[in-house]
Amino acid sequence: MKKSGQNTQETDITRKKRKKGRLMWGFIYVLAFITAFCGSALFKMKYNPYGKEFTTEWNDSVGTVYTDLSYGDREANRFDLYVPAGRSRDSYGLIVYLHAGGFTSGDKSDDEQLLKWLCSKGYVTAGINYTLRTEDHPEASVYSQSVEIRESIPYVLAEAERLGYPIREMAVGGGSAGGCLALLYAYRDADSSPVPVRMVFEAVGPSSFYPEDWKCYGLDKNEEAARALFSVMAGKEITAGFGTPEYEKEIKDISALLWVDSDTVPTLMAYGKCDKVQPYEASLRLLKALEENGIPHDYYLGEHSGHGIQNDPDVYADYMRKTLEYLDTYMPVR
Amino acid sequence: MNLTQKRILILLIVILAGIVLGRLAVRALMNFLLGGTMFGGSLL
Repeated sequence: MKKSGQNTQETDITRKKRKKGRLMWGFIYVLAFITAFCGSALFKMKYNPYGKEFTTEWNDSVGTVYTDLSYGDREANRFDLYVPAGRSRDSYGLIVYLHAGGFTSGDKSDDEQLLKWLCSKGYVTAGINYTLRTEDHPEASVYSQSVEIRESIPYVLAEAERLGYPIREMAVGGGSAGGCLALLYAYRDADSSPVPVRMVFEAVGPSSFYPEDWKCYGLDKNEEAARALFSVMAGKEITAGFGTPEYEKEIKDISALLWVDSDTVPTLMAYGKCDKVQPYEASLRLLKALEENGIPHDYYLGEHSGHGIQNDPDVYADYMRKTLEYLDTYMPVR
Repeated sequence: MNLTQKRILILLIVILAGIVLGRLAVRALMNFLLGGTMFGGSLL
């Protein structure tokens, strides 16, 4: 009887130990999962698939940055100028890069690394702000922004000249909203540019405004919504029927596609096939127009990506490398 | 395979699942915001 009681006590202790062990291991599993999940997610967000290929170790021996230079009366009329070290050459090529942000956000400083990298290749580079469409500026539109960019260029050139960097030619680039504005400057305003525009490079910028392309916002099924959005972007009331020559006339001021002709500058572009922010289909129209007009161009497509070309870093890296090739071809450092 | 070995094996599987699901969660979020496919393209 005594031995049996002792055995029961031992079994209870073993059971309790096992229960404690199961609880502890359960806790370890949960903790390990959460740590691995969060660590992996953070790594994914922070990981730079391009390494240091498109950045530069910036210091005085590479160049100098002049920030918040003014080109107009509006608060946003500011630009940053990056000039390469030394003033050994008679003239320089200028690269203007316009920031992303859906025409409503973003800042020239977002592209600081890119501008420094391009400057390290021997170019004068500039990041230009424009008045964003916000509650404070409900009057701002894609058109008004494109006009501000056009107005800024003489100031950028004058400032570069003042610093001892006379500009002989320029290239323009941008991402998303900046890509749209870059295309507009290169296609619409190149003729009035103070220096020749040699090329344009842009990623995921909207270049045309046909409701049937803009499925990402359901505009293909809602003409009224399409008219409202395009009117806001154009900065004027769009009244003509879609698909008519009158409509193209009304939208032409903000539609880079409609400015493509045989004199259009070489164009390098990158898009995401699954883009939910601006229509991939519009990029096909631009591609077709460039082909039909015999314009030198390259088109990079991220088959698995959307607006950030985020799932196809190899495609984006090729686009960046091609940008250097284009610069070497159409605006070489002399 | 004793109990400790089994537990370590389960732990490794749990960690692996956490790593894979963490990456997929970020990709899914980015795809939700920007568009994109869950598979294909870069694994990293």
